[in-house]
Amino acid sequence: MRSLLFATLALFSAVVFSQPTIKIGVITDRVGVSKPYSEPSTEGLIFGAEEINRRGGILGRKIELLVEDDQSRPDISAALARKLIDQGVVFILSMSLTPATQQQQTVTMEAKTPQMTPMNSGDTLTTQLPNPYFWQTGPLGSIQIATLLAHARAKNLKQVALITDNSDLGQLLGRFFKAGLEKSGIKVVAEEVIPRGATTASPQMQKIRAANPDAMFMAGVLTAENVLIFKAYREFGLKFPIHSSYNLSVPVYMTVAKGLIDGVTFVDAYDPEKPQVKAFEAAYKKATGKDSFNLHGYGYDGIMLVAEAIKAAGSTDKEKIRAAMQNVKYEGVMGARGMKYSFPEGKRAGFDPNGMVVRVYEGDKQGRVIYTGQK
Amino acid sequence: MQDFLELAVSATASGCVYGLVALAYLLMIRPTGIINFAVGEWAMVGAFGGVVLLTKYEWNYALGMATVIAFMAAVGWATERIAVRPLVERGAPILAPILALLGMVMVFRESISVSFPPDPHAVPYPFGLGRLEWGPLGGSYQSFFIVAVSLLVFAGFWLFFEKSLWGRSFEAVALNRRAAALMGINLSRVTSVSFAGGAAVAGLAGLLVSPNVSAHYLMGVPLAIQGFTALVIGGVGRVEGALLGGLLLSFAEQLAARYAPIASGFTQGVPLLLLMLFLIFRPTGLLRARA
Amino acid sequence: MSGALRWLGALVLLAGASFFMSDYHNDVYRKLMLWVTLALGYNFLFGICGQVAFSHFAFYGIGAYSVVILLFQLHVPLPIAIVLGVAVCILVALAVAIPSTRLEGFYLALATLALGQLFIVVLNEGGAVTGGNGGIANYRLPDIFGVRIRGPWYTAVIATLLVGTFALLWRLDHSWFGRACRAIRDNAEAAAAMGVNVARVKVIVFTLTSALAGITGMVYAFVDNTVNPPIFGIDNAFLLLFMVIVGGAGRHAGAIIGAVLLFLLPFFLSPLVGHHHVLVFGLLVVGAILAAPKGLIGLYDAFRRS
Repeated sequence: MRSLLFATLALFSAVVFSQPTIKIGVITDRVGVSKPYSEPSTEGLIFGAEEINRRGGILGRKIELLVEDDQSRPDISAALARKLIDQGVVFILSMSLTPATQQQQTVTMEAKTPQMTPMNSGDTLTTQLPNPYFWQTGPLGSIQIATLLAHARAKNLKQVALITDNSDLGQLLGRFFKAGLEKSGIKVVAEEVIPRGATTASPQMQKIRAANPDAMFMAGVLTAENVLIFKAYREFGLKFPIHSSYNLSVPVYMTVAKGLIDGVTFVDAYDPEKPQVKAFEAAYKKATGKDSFNLHGYGYDGIMLVAEAIKAAGSTDKEKIRAAMQNVKYEGVMGARGMKYSFPEGKRAGFDPNGMVVRVYEGDKQGRVIYTGQK
Repeated sequence: MQDFLELAVSATASGCVYGLVALAYLLMIRPTGIINFAVGEWAMVGAFGGVVLLTKYEWNYALGMATVIAFMAAVGWATERIAVRPLVERGAPILAPILALLGMVMVFRESISVSFPPDPHAVPYPFGLGRLEWGPLGGSYQSFFIVAVSLLVFAGFWLFFEKSLWGRSFEAVALNRRAAALMGINLSRVTSVSFAGGAAVAGLAGLLVSPNVSAHYLMGVPLAIQGFTALVIGGVGRVEGALLGGLLLSFAEQLAARYAPIASGFTQGVPLLLLMLFLIFRPTGLLRARA
Repeated sequence: MSGALRWLGALVLLAGASFFMSDYHNDVYRKLMLWVTLALGYNFLFGICGQVAFSHFAFYGIGAYSVVILLFQLHVPLPIAIVLGVAVCILVALAVAIPSTRLEGFYLALATLALGQLFIVVLNEGGAVTGGNGGIANYRLPDIFGVRIRGPWYTAVIATLLVGTFALLWRLDHSWFGRACRAIRDNAEAAAAMGVNVARVKVIVFTLTSALAGITGMVYAFVDNTVNPPIFGIDNAFLLLFMVIVGGAGRHAGAIIGAVLLFLLPFFLSPLVGHHHVLVFGLLVVGAILAAPKGLIGLYDAFRRS
């Protein structure tokens, strides 16, 4: 009899004291072209959510992640956003291709649901649609080129080559790189594109060689095609310095481009010596047994930012969360030391323009930070 | 001029790869009439075979290559058994096995995608990353290796079809299935062998190209399309046609990228335009089959 | 008369259902109906007339982009934009159809495949006109006579398109035109010998179905209010082919079944098997072709007959 009473009391208190979870939606790509970036990013996000739950959740409630796979297909992406909203999420995190994030915006704008991408870097995401419910904390293409140029300022570049691929992000970054270069008074003497599926970059590199640039800027984001560029560069014995977008910061290059990338500089949003980074890597390894790298940090920072906003809002009301996120100031794993994410003056791109670092490949290893910010 | 000679070497190497894929299609189309778009995925599987044996377990290159080729032949034989033979035996229209094979494209690609991490994987060079100067021509070791291996393969198949009894029976089946069966040629064995051969050749192509482009699960579709374009240009009738088509396509692509005065992005349209032009004006390709 | 009533009844049913659905289900329902419309048109081209073409989905894109560019880049009023959009689809279809009458079987398939890819290249390189890689967003359907059509009312528009397309293709099928198409599919030489103008029928079929696909595309443009190149990639052309084959080529009911099944399947598979869902999908498609080469409708027929 007493055990029954006890059980009833326990059940009763469990029901009374357990609060409904806070539902957060995640749209990621598990099978399509964005998988190499979405997968580690989402793993970092999931780890972050579990960490938050272990510490008691947000406002005393646990996070429940509803994860959907959009296969990098933007039309499915928009339908999934609607599905998540119908299921009662208070926030949607977009961890897939840039056009997919864009397409989800038409839905979140209409449904007045907060949405954020912690990893897309296309500048147009916050400018093409006037959606006050959308934020972007990935490092923008314009910030990348500005940081690279600040570092290269001492080199007195007069004419450079620009090379990218025909992916949508590669083209977008290419546009912003070109604009940044021309704004600094540097002439772009060669502009080449390596199409997806190419078996060699020789013709394009020959054209670049013929233009005699002081340096070459790489804006492409397709790994295999970038490796072709490095191969042709080595084969022709070219010597001008290479400066690359943040795509080179992905660790896969250390295996597929072995022996090819010594001395290449690239922008990154990850300073491996930053205390938060060291703590994150240790905690991730301990919890999952696997190594983490910079991509995991994007997802982790994403969920942390959302948690911050909900905490500051004090409730799960979408309008309050929106206002809170707009005012957030948070120092995360990504970014240079001391960088905080913030959205001043109503802007919705939150990565600090001075928050990127320039690193260089030493041998095959990602080396030290050699420049910070845009000063 | 030096640019052109360098491009000549790299275009020849790429052309040989396209030619091998075209040959794979040809080996299956001639006796059966079946267009197998899965050859691109077969090339990818061959490349990943290289990742496992050569990168991960660091086998001797020749041994690894031979094993991958043998494995791909088995894959081809199995594909025919599973996706083609039941339909042919039931007298289904020719479109049915073509579509079943299209479905297999998805199966192959996803099987690799879920078995390996999503990033591209490195495949080692047999002779390392170096440059060879051969008279006026200069190119990477790998380019010369690709050309040498491809020429061997093409020579081998040419001899097979021209001189050997087996090869002649293939030709007979290609010309007239019913007559060939009446003459005692075992149709189903010819089909099995053609699929095994096609898969082996495609796998070899993947293995040869992957040290340059790395092995990744999306590499199949572009190769399948380039190989098919090469086949249309060269003509389905003769083995040499596949090589010729591959070389023409590759030279057009690379020369256009280097010399054409149009924006870089448009050069991807070159192979497509070529394909459409050939289809409209010369659908049988450049080389006609022997009468 | 009862025929027209049946179509009307179907329309009322399909359109009315949308008023009882949540936003998410409405979205899926709309896209499903668009795919069924495309499948019906493709079934006529491929299943009934025997033309293996991979350009159907490209015309979907041409229609969508045309209407958006006309309305929002060139600021043409809506009714004229619709007419011009249809005209563009017809012109491009004719430009492709007339030379393709010389091509048979897989040559036609290849040429239309190349067309589909060329379309994507043009979209990507189109700069400010097509919005390049990012496409065009930030627009919505203009008001018609001051009325904003949205939500379930727009779904009703899509239902009307579906029923209208079905009715048109049905009538055509049950006329001399349909018989001519089937004759060409089964044996073009025999058809010519019987007096059918093979080339002209082929051109008409291609142009008609491509124009229908284009109109469907124009309606799609206002479903997500975004058009960009990844939406119109060639993978979808293959999916359309699979839908018609798995359902049963040559039969309208087959196209409907195939479209419904293959469109909804990923939504059910994804939560069940996680990220293996594409693999399972591929296996199911191969299995379906092996088990039922005449399509699922063929199985149904066999069952009915036994």
